[in-house]
Amino acid sequence: MTAELSSKEEDRYFRQLFVKEWNQEKLKQAKVFVAGVGGLGSASTYYLAAAGIGTIHICDGDIVERVDLNRQILYSEKSIGKPKVEEAYRRLSMLNPEIKIDITNGYLTKKNVSTLIDGYDIIVDGLDNVETRLLLNTLSIEKGIPYAYGTVQGWEGFLSLFNPPATACFSCVMDEGLEEKITPTLVPGVLPGIIGAIQASEVIKYLMDVERTSLGKLMVYDSRRLAFDVITIEKNPNCSCNKL
Amino acid sequence: MTIFLKAGSELRERLQPDVDYYTRKVETEEGKSIRTILEELGINPAFVAFAYSDGSIKRLDYVPKDGDTITLQPPVSGG
Repeated sequence: MTAELSSKEEDRYFRQLFVKEWNQEKLKQAKVFVAGVGGLGSASTYYLAAAGIGTIHICDGDIVERVDLNRQILYSEKSIGKPKVEEAYRRLSMLNPEIKIDITNGYLTKKNVSTLIDGYDIIVDGLDNVETRLLLNTLSIEKGIPYAYGTVQGWEGFLSLFNPPATACFSCVMDEGLEEKITPTLVPGVLPGIIGAIQASEVIKYLMDVERTSLGKLMVYDSRRLAFDVITIEKNPNCSCNKL
Repeated sequence: MTIFLKAGSELRERLQPDVDYYTRKVETEEGKSIRTILEELGINPAFVAFAYSDGSIKRLDYVPKDGDTITLQPPVSGG
């Protein structure tokens, strides 16, 4: 894919092209892997596609259900019963036909994750469980690919950008209580939209070398009291990431 | 000494806040870690994924000072 923008692309991205520090060519050359297109992934991929990320690979093995429609904005009533990645592909292609979208209709596993994320510039977290996050975290460290973490529950959402060895990793922070099973996610539909959109913003900034504010930070957003806490996170000397 | 524990999400109900929606005032002795204080309150520390205070992450072996406010977050995995 050539980095040069076509006149059609210049029209499409006109409102952002001249934002200070913006680099549309870098976004066009970028390759982003999105793990999961549920609530978070719906929002993040929508904005990443709209922004003109050159290649987006979406991976999810779920089928769209009616209960998803309060928050998973890529889908509609007509999507029910269909694979999420196929519906996401259809919606994102309609939004921006100028970009390349690859899909994997399946879940991330120990067997496939290494191959799937190979060659991508950054990984975006749209997952719904800790086990796969730990797997993705380990592989992202081994391959040196930054990991844009996000999660939601109740009124709260968290996000960070992990890029060891320069920063802490997911396991450095979440080193306690991982064994506890969470009840099914109860969440106001708008919350994953907010966190997913901020994840997309952080990914775009990372790719363009703009201020990388979420590196080494953990953002806690409490939508109930409209509060953003930004916490400094440091590497845990006892974390397994130090041995990878 | 007095410390203030705040809890988010599902952990809030376990903490039983008494100051405001999120916060419980706790009288404790100096030198005890967050882990010990939680155990004395009858809260299993395994319900805490991470804690923070003054803008930085604190491990559960962190020993609070008088007046500290510690926010506790449970494991969260939704997407």
